[in-house]
Amino acid sequence: MKDILDRNQNKAEEVRTLLREKKVMMVNIISSPGAGKTTLLERTCEALADKTRIGVIEGDVATDRDARRLQKYNIPIVCINTGGGCHLDSHSISKVLGHFALDNLDLLFVENVGNLICPSQFDLGETFKLAVVSTAEGDDKPAKYPMLFTGARAVILNKTDLIPYTNFNVAAFESDIVSLNPGITIIKTSATGGEGTDRWIGWLTSQLESFRAG
Amino acid sequence: MHELKIAEELSAMVSYHAAEAGLRVVERVNISVGQFVQVVPDLLEAAFRIAAMDSVASAARLEIEIIAAEMRCRRCGTGYSPDDDLHACMACGSLDIDVVHGKELFIKSIEGE
Repeated sequence: MKDILDRNQNKAEEVRTLLREKKVMMVNIISSPGAGKTTLLERTCEALADKTRIGVIEGDVATDRDARRLQKYNIPIVCINTGGGCHLDSHSISKVLGHFALDNLDLLFVENVGNLICPSQFDLGETFKLAVVSTAEGDDKPAKYPMLFTGARAVILNKTDLIPYTNFNVAAFESDIVSLNPGITIIKTSATGGEGTDRWIGWLTSQLESFRAG
Repeated sequence: MHELKIAEELSAMVSYHAAEAGLRVVERVNISVGQFVQVVPDLLEAAFRIAAMDSVASAARLEIEIIAAEMRCRRCGTGYSPDDDLHACMACGSLDIDVVHGKELFIKSIEGE
């Protein structure tokens, strides 16, 4: 019996070993299109760019619009256009790692292609997966797309400022997530307005510290 | 449509193992897919047709066996098959659960001559 995604898994382990040696924590961010991944990265760069050396791999079906939004922070950014492909895989990550000076990096974000299904199937060699869900998508997403939430270390519930205008039930959302993954961390933010992003930054910083110590 | 990527990996693997076993033609590829693996069988089959087009498996039949989810509670030891994707133990409600089956994605066997 042979695992069909063996080649992806082996390359992912290679990437993981390399990044561990270089002490670079890689965060694979997965969400639907428009959940707020890029805005969250903007807030993160604003909060951390002067004390943490950040790099970003932007996965997009087409265009470099997300990459352009992050250029103002003067950080290394590599854009992978999948040309219609619905996810990144470990080979595409491995190929672009050479564009980064890994010795001068602490934190590498991968902004995966906006999609809740396909990206959750492919290990990229990340330290952990981060799921981002926006309130406008509805509170049933964890139950409908369980694979992402069982595999993620944390989930950001973004656009909390919109809750009054939706039928989003925070308690149902949280209880579904916890039943899928009891150890997961849930952080509520409104990345555009900035509310809650301090909790995200605090959590991220603690993850980085324990990664470096570990 | 990650089925295409999975089909490409599958096709490459089938070609490799067929060559190793000295098969000229692959007639049947038997794979197992767990219930929690988000793969649409019809799409995977169609994608495999395309991915294997110029290979020894170009005319092979893809047999997909779906493996039903099976859980075991770490607290009370009850084994059960969940009726949906949410996993709390059906006996005691605990969230401390092992997924025994449901995450498989592998080739069982290849047939040919």
